[in-house]
Amino acid sequence: MPAFEIGSKDVDVEEIMKAIRKRIDEKKQRLYTDQEIQEIAERRLDAVLDAHDFNSDLIADFRAQPERWNFAFEAETLYRSSRGFVGAVLRGLRGALRPVQKLFWNPNPMISALSRQSELNRYYVHLLHNLALELTRLNLEVQDLKNRNLQLQGRVELLARREKTLESMVVFRGEDESGAAPEGR
Amino acid sequence: MRLAFVVQRYGASIAGGAEYHCRLVAERLARRARVEVITTCASDYLTWANCEPEGLSELNGVAVRRFAVERPRDAVRFAELTARLFGEPARTEPGRVDVERARRAAPADAERWLEEQGPFAPGLVRHLAASRRDHDAFVFFSYRYYPTCRGLPAVAERALLVPTAEDDGAYHLPLYPPLFRAPRAIVFNSVEEREMLRRAVGPSLAGGDVVGVGSEVPARMDAEGFRRRHGIDGPFLLYVGRVDLNKGCPQLFELFLRYRRETGSRLRLVLLGQSVLPIPNDAGLVPLGFKPDQEKWDALSASLAFVMPSRFESLSIATLEAWWAERPVLVNAKCDVLRGQCKRSNAGLYYASYEEFREALALLESNADLRERMGRKGRAYYEANYAGNVIETKYLALLEPLRAASARLTA
Repeated sequence: MPAFEIGSKDVDVEEIMKAIRKRIDEKKQRLYTDQEIQEIAERRLDAVLDAHDFNSDLIADFRAQPERWNFAFEAETLYRSSRGFVGAVLRGLRGALRPVQKLFWNPNPMISALSRQSELNRYYVHLLHNLALELTRLNLEVQDLKNRNLQLQGRVELLARREKTLESMVVFRGEDESGAAPEGR
Repeated sequence: MRLAFVVQRYGASIAGGAEYHCRLVAERLARRARVEVITTCASDYLTWANCEPEGLSELNGVAVRRFAVERPRDAVRFAELTARLFGEPARTEPGRVDVERARRAAPADAERWLEEQGPFAPGLVRHLAASRRDHDAFVFFSYRYYPTCRGLPAVAERALLVPTAEDDGAYHLPLYPPLFRAPRAIVFNSVEEREMLRRAVGPSLAGGDVVGVGSEVPARMDAEGFRRRHGIDGPFLLYVGRVDLNKGCPQLFELFLRYRRETGSRLRLVLLGQSVLPIPNDAGLVPLGFKPDQEKWDALSASLAFVMPSRFESLSIATLEAWWAERPVLVNAKCDVLRGQCKRSNAGLYYASYEEFREALALLESNADLRERMGRKGRAYYEANYAGNVIETKYLALLEPLRAASARLTA
């Protein structure tokens, strides 16, 4: 999250208070901005995953280099070659022998399944990414609710104490009132 | 010049704002005039029990004449009268005043309330009337109590009133507006206090000046010594004053402990002052009780910032002292005076909600440069407005016409 900056060298309390209120308003509109949640989500992964077992930059990697975790699959992928000119010749031969190959097996179901799997992989990564964000958001909201709960608990305790004081004032009326004085000033 | 200071309580260990204010001014002016303090034998503002002997004594070079309180406060009866005059919520919550109800209060009820509030010392009032020619001027502190309300009219032509009026609504009672019209001049603590009284009393409010008060500042402050004596390490926020419901302390505890829980901050809250309410048992709170002046200055120099949660302040000497010690302050925005002082000095932040408290405190805690700059602003503000010589000059300017009038009468 960006730090709270006081720009001017001279202090202007009213300006500082305006900045504070603006920041509070922003937070009230949404507990955290999308960017802040994303930052926290990435930091959380870093904190909970063991770097030796798992790449802590998981989401950044997924987003930056999809070829490292998924394959691009099309109908022609099975017949391609990466060997430059020789590869181009090989690709031509494979194309020419394709009808003969089909006498031995049918590659179409496999091509179709792998194409679908590639799409599913992309979908799962997208889902995983969004789940991580939602989980982070929910964690923050739960934390906020816990804090509010503690605050309400404090208020209830304060009210209970006040009630006790008022009761004792009634009970001890006419006796020693030194501890129950609801003084003016 | 012969001056009499009239105040409800007086003593070195009395931490009440108006009483401390009175002592500071009396001791300062004692260098320039013959000063006598006229007060009661009480030291506890809840009971007004007579604790000091009657008669003349001396404190820090100032003569003190004490009169017995003839009847202690009946707390239950006082609460009932408060509820009748100001509405039921005022019984337990200071400042929850039904203004219209207070304005319409029957004079007899208001009289009974004033006597019950105390300190009921008719002997003191009789003495004022009898000794009116023995003093060139009478300086009354705190408008709301019996000695001022009944004593000032007896010497009105020689009276200076320091109302120390807080925005708690009590001044709406019909017995007070005549009091604010009676003295020769009023010494206001702040522009906000003057405006508040002008709204309540109207244009017939007695004239005067905004003065305030400056403290006796120390020759040196020992932050390390304070930490060592009390075993406090790490940064802390400081509160100085009575730990009391009227001062907003329960709310401060709630806000501060929530701040610690939510932010994980290790900041602690050190409390200097007598406590009249239970303090939560939490590692974040460090209650040290009432301490001598030097201890307070040492605590200020060791602190990260000063906090004043009270809604009802006519000045807050403790806040001014924090500024002298170059500490930024965090105050309750619902107190017009404190908020106004922060804006004028640029040396303090204010909060009206938990969110503002959290953001303002987090800012002060994390930004040492800002703290330093605000601290310097606070010191400059203090020196310009509340330094001893500034206060003395203003008081003497207000007292001079009274002295001249007294001299003419004597001649």
